[in-house]
Amino acid sequence: MSAMLAIATVELRRFLRDKSNIFFVFIFPLLLILLLGSQFGAGSGQARVAIAGPGSALAQALTAKLQSAGVAVTASGENAARADLSRGRTDVGLFLDDADGAAFDAGRPAELDVVMASQSSAQAVLQQVRTAVQAVGLERSQLAALAGAGIPEYRARPALDQAAAQVAVPTVEIVDTNDMAQEFRGLGKFDLGAAQQLLLFVFLSSLTGAATLIQARRFGVVGRVMSAPVSSGQVVAGQALGRFAIAFLQGGFIMAGTALLFGVDWGNLWLSALVLVLFCAVAAAAAMMVGSVIDNDTAAAGVGVGGGLVLGGLGGCMVPPEFFPEALATISYVTPHRWAYDAFAAIQRRDGTLGDILPQLGVLAGMATALLLLGAWLLRRSLSRAL
Amino acid sequence: MVANDLRQRVRDKSVFIFSLIVPLALMGVLSLVFGGLGGDTVDLKPATVVASADDADQLGAALLGAVDSLEIMDVTIKRVPAADVRSETRASGAALGIIVPEGFSNAVLSGQAAPVQLVEGNGASLETGVLISAVQAVLDQFAAGTVTAAAGGISGLPHQELAALAQQAAAGPRLLTLTEGQAAAEQLSLRGTLVAGQAGLFLMFTVGFGVLGLLAEREQGTLARLRSMPVTGVTVITAKACTGFILGVVATTVLLTAGSQLFGVSFGSPPVVAALILAVVTAATSLTFVVARLVRTAEQANVAQSILAMVLGIAGGAFFPVQGTGFAATLLDLNPIGAFIRGLGISAGGGSLGDVAGPVVVMLAFAAAGLLLSRLLPDRGAQA
Repeated sequence: MSAMLAIATVELRRFLRDKSNIFFVFIFPLLLILLLGSQFGAGSGQARVAIAGPGSALAQALTAKLQSAGVAVTASGENAARADLSRGRTDVGLFLDDADGAAFDAGRPAELDVVMASQSSAQAVLQQVRTAVQAVGLERSQLAALAGAGIPEYRARPALDQAAAQVAVPTVEIVDTNDMAQEFRGLGKFDLGAAQQLLLFVFLSSLTGAATLIQARRFGVVGRVMSAPVSSGQVVAGQALGRFAIAFLQGGFIMAGTALLFGVDWGNLWLSALVLVLFCAVAAAAAMMVGSVIDNDTAAAGVGVGGGLVLGGLGGCMVPPEFFPEALATISYVTPHRWAYDAFAAIQRRDGTLGDILPQLGVLAGMATALLLLGAWLLRRSLSRAL
Repeated sequence: MVANDLRQRVRDKSVFIFSLIVPLALMGVLSLVFGGLGGDTVDLKPATVVASADDADQLGAALLGAVDSLEIMDVTIKRVPAADVRSETRASGAALGIIVPEGFSNAVLSGQAAPVQLVEGNGASLETGVLISAVQAVLDQFAAGTVTAAAGGISGLPHQELAALAQQAAAGPRLLTLTEGQAAAEQLSLRGTLVAGQAGLFLMFTVGFGVLGLLAEREQGTLARLRSMPVTGVTVITAKACTGFILGVVATTVLLTAGSQLFGVSFGSPPVVAALILAVVTAATSLTFVVARLVRTAEQANVAQSILAMVLGIAGGAFFPVQGTGFAATLLDLNPIGAFIRGLGISAGGGSLGDVAGPVVVMLAFAAAGLLLSRLLPDRGAQA
């Protein structure tokens, strides 16, 4: 037991001593969570409209109407707006000129030039612009109708304001939002990204760490250790424990760091920690397998980066699996990431209890056991080969 | 020396893993997982709307008629009783459910509250958003009529004139109309961005094999052996850089070609794409010189290369588009991978060599800055 712990401690100490690990393992995940939170977190995906042209009452009215509909409006020059459109930095550009402003002021019809960016989401924003333009036009039509009935503008405006306050108008009431909105309701800006990046990076670091196992074999370190009164079982267990300790340290750091720095709510900490423990066990066992079957450490790094990213993507660490097509969502359950993601989702979003996440914990424990046994067998075989 | 290095790298499985297998696998997986976020076209899909409204209700019928005849998308309206709208919307996968309340017309005309209830569909969220906005537009029109009639009343107009006034305000000729123009597309499609982004990201790893070779030779003592021969230090370094450059150009070309075939994307004119590849590989190679000066061992070089590749790749939009404003936007624009993806976007939209001059200049300027920096930095490797 002491030999096993000693090997694991040496693994952990070697890992921490290497300063280059600090960036990838501790800093990079937090940076990515910050970036993802600011790009995709709550409040992201806001529609963006650029209004180009001289300032006018029309531009002001449109800006106010669009902003009240939750659209982010920027005022810019024509060239800047076209450049933004071409690069997808804004969804819709509305190009107004002096003639448009003058026509609007005089209550005459005006044709406004509108350009939509090429991303698919721009269609929905264009419809919002159509609705806003129509609403602004309607306000003018109201004044025109009253003017036609002999009421001058200075009397018509207050009358319209008074009427708007007195009468009830038909409204839209969304009584049932879609499942997707319900699923992510209540999640903080960084909550989703934190769980995704935690799983992605713990697994990625574990797999790429497999290279150290190969080096230990190639440089004869393992052979040397086994010349001491240490059994191959203890070496295998020590290596596995070392990989597990590194993974858990990284996972624990990301959890604590995101909770303290970004206010991520991990729900019930004991349950989240339990999910992390089992996920780290799977990651460590997977690293053992890679470290045992590949003899070239550069190739193992390639497999580690590739495997870590591919499995992470498939397991919902890049795009939430709720957005996956049905067949892919089913396939995603071959990855441990998906089971851990579901467990975190239950704890974070629905205050899930131990009973709620038992199936996910069971599968993760099963995966860890199977991979650990296989990894240990492969490592023991490769150790005897190395000797 | 270059030929020998290339032979060694080709024998080494890691080149193929990093340069081809991993990026292609990632392109495949990312293309699958991003598939659910929306297609590559801007066209709206045909949508079904489950609705309930009293047949005799004039404004309710007008509302559904307006939704049914939307020009921008093909809408099919399925009428069901009000109690079934929610379940039917869910069961049929419709984009939206609309429940027009009983006595809607009377409520609207008499200025009483008349909320139109909407049930969001679970499927196409983009189409749902468009439909909700379209319903809002129709209700705005009804509201304009009601408010104008009330304002007429407040202003002392006779009661019998108010209906015509409301009609005129709500359904008169539109004062503001929109004329749709076209934007120059400098953006790649979703799949195109994935292919270009992964090619750019893994290029950083590929060109690194040149400098890694140099450090490996130093560690193994073969570099000293090389120096004992009539070969200058500059020749050795240039040979390593050439190895990285050639591997980068070949891997990026193969990745873009394979990616465009597998994922059905086109990057436009081959000479323009070739210019972009040469520029981005030059930029990436210059970075390896900086890394070579900074690190002492091949392992450190591996880590430094990976850090730079991931930071530049993610910031450049290899996984998802990164938007910034002000200084952050300028910083993002100077990223060679971002410039490469932007350049490919311009060429995919039919841009010529002149049109991609901006991104090419950014990449070459980055290369020049990298080379300059590598000259200025002390060589820690040589000190090791």
